[in-house]
Amino acid sequence: MKVTIGYLYGDLMNIYGDTGNIITLKKRAEWRGINVVVKNFSTANIMKKNDVDIFFFGGGQDQQQSLVASDLASSGKGKIIKQEVERGVPLLSVCGGYQLLGEYYKPHRGPKLPGISLFPAYTVASDDRMIGNIVVETQFGKLVGFENHSGKTYLKDGEYSLGIVIKGFGNNGADTTEGCIYKNAIGCYMHGSLLPKNPILADWLIKKALEVKYGKEINLEPLDDDFELLAHQQAISRFG
Amino acid sequence: MKTLAAVILGKLIATISKTFKIGGGSAAPGLYALKIDPDLVGKLSRKIPQNVVITGTNGKTTTARMLAHFAKIEGLKVIKNHTGSNLERGVTSTLVNSYSHISSGKVDLGIWELDEAAFNIVAPKIKPGVVLFLNVFRDQLDRYGEVDSVVKRWCKTLTTLKSPTQILLNGDDANTRSLKKCFKGKVQLFGVKDYKIVGEAIEQQKEQENYEFEAKNVKLHGLKGSYFHLQYSSLREANTFHLPVTLPLPGIYHIYDFLAAFAAGTRLGFSPTTMIKSLKHYSPAFGRMEKFSLQPSRLHRKDGFIFLIKNPAGATQVFETITPNLKPNDRLLFALNDNIADGRDVSWIWDAQWERLQETGYRLQVVASGTRAYDLANRLKYAGFDPKLINIEQDLKKAFRQAKDGLKARLFILPTYTAMLELQRILAKIGIKRHYWEEE
Repeated sequence: MKVTIGYLYGDLMNIYGDTGNIITLKKRAEWRGINVVVKNFSTANIMKKNDVDIFFFGGGQDQQQSLVASDLASSGKGKIIKQEVERGVPLLSVCGGYQLLGEYYKPHRGPKLPGISLFPAYTVASDDRMIGNIVVETQFGKLVGFENHSGKTYLKDGEYSLGIVIKGFGNNGADTTEGCIYKNAIGCYMHGSLLPKNPILADWLIKKALEVKYGKEINLEPLDDDFELLAHQQAISRFG
Repeated sequence: MKTLAAVILGKLIATISKTFKIGGGSAAPGLYALKIDPDLVGKLSRKIPQNVVITGTNGKTTTARMLAHFAKIEGLKVIKNHTGSNLERGVTSTLVNSYSHISSGKVDLGIWELDEAAFNIVAPKIKPGVVLFLNVFRDQLDRYGEVDSVVKRWCKTLTTLKSPTQILLNGDDANTRSLKKCFKGKVQLFGVKDYKIVGEAIEQQKEQENYEFEAKNVKLHGLKGSYFHLQYSSLREANTFHLPVTLPLPGIYHIYDFLAAFAAGTRLGFSPTTMIKSLKHYSPAFGRMEKFSLQPSRLHRKDGFIFLIKNPAGATQVFETITPNLKPNDRLLFALNDNIADGRDVSWIWDAQWERLQETGYRLQVVASGTRAYDLANRLKYAGFDPKLINIEQDLKKAFRQAKDGLKARLFILPTYTAMLELQRILAKIGIKRHYWEEE
């Protein structure tokens, strides 16, 4: 089997160790004998349907974010990502990437950056910096990470939240929701990196990718997750 | 009167904290003295004939220490802030401590390392003769913010500094090089020929520009150091000079620290040949590529090395430097803490290229330690280390003992900042190193 990871704007949006998510997806697939290709999709690249089996979209700085927002619209990548997610292709987005997949992001200065409206959410820049370790209760169990954002994201429908914040700020520091999940697409504020310490989520993304690609149910071979789970547990006992 | 009161209070707190061993006495005295006289830094530093300010993400401590070394060889009396105290209160503490020497004109040169944020507050108060910008990398984004905004703030601060201040920039870092346009006075560049810093540079092309201070024909000699040709132009004459340099510090990044210190030295009128000769007698700061003896016995001498790691760029440079020098029986001890001084966010370990350490092909024994030992062990696993060869021990003292027991070759210790301080205390207890507040 083979899986292609589409790294969205990795050259512009790769802040806060989000590369750890790519490393984790790649290794966990390879350890099971699945071939992995990581393809970068930035402003210079063209994206077609069926190019990607798992999307990853990391965080970025304001300046880069506006560049990416306009490319998502003008290059047609935004439209393709939406269509692919509709047919079940999994996606993980963190922070800046998450914000651009909502309806819009309103920065401190300048006009609204349009998102691709994949998630029923919008984000507004605030003067609060929401920084610290975060623990969230989700359908995948507890997820742990580190958040660092000033944008506040509001879900138009709470049904779509990824989970409930146990420790930390989450989407906006007020309504206790964190992240968003629509079909197999996830948006969240968890760096850390997220996937290395939350292997259940990493495997879920791989499983979904293979199921969509090969059109059958896939059961991934279990791995020895000693270190992963110790790191996960340590974060919960220290911060949760 | 206000100044004197502030100085007296600061000195009193320094004495108390030293007597009761509350800390190194390097921040609290300044903090309280500043409450009485907020302009203390400006008033006291103005009494010093020359001041040099050093900022950037990596290399501040080594550059400051090397410049101080050059100055001492020239016979100058130098004061500088202590490692890790690179905020305004740290500078104030040093000034307060040396008040009587400063007032009686016994201090010739102040060397101040300032962190990326403190620079904007403190540099305009000091009005330094020379400012050095070393580099800017991602480091503790929770504290400094994004690289773009760090550079923007520096640029703004530079527009407020006036001649006779001179600026020295690392020309190989696109971000520091971009500061040239922000300053009206004299700007000079330093760099290494045919080398580009892998870092935050968005713009990829290195401009074909002549540097005033340039290292050429670089040859790295493992952990012993490097050899290169230094080309520099004199201020007074139109000539270009060439000098061979033997630097007793390993890795390309130390060449930049040297170039920065050397460039500042020439601006202060030091003799270039004397500076280069004196490198033979330079000893590194604690934890910066420092070598020590784990076993005092001359017969079975075992060496240990400490390399501070604190951000992706710095850590990767350390990995690059030690990897070609590792031997099959060497061991590695990593310690990752997440205290405020380390950065609470440990995401950065995923941007550092631990994979580089796997290029040896050896099955090295590794100990992972620190408050985030499990995150670290996990990172090592994903970098290709065999989990069976990774020992996890959160407690650094126990981890150090584990790494040392049965060691056949050398031990490489790579700690984050507060783990390094802890390591200093552990080594001091077993008689290997002095306590940090006794340094210098």
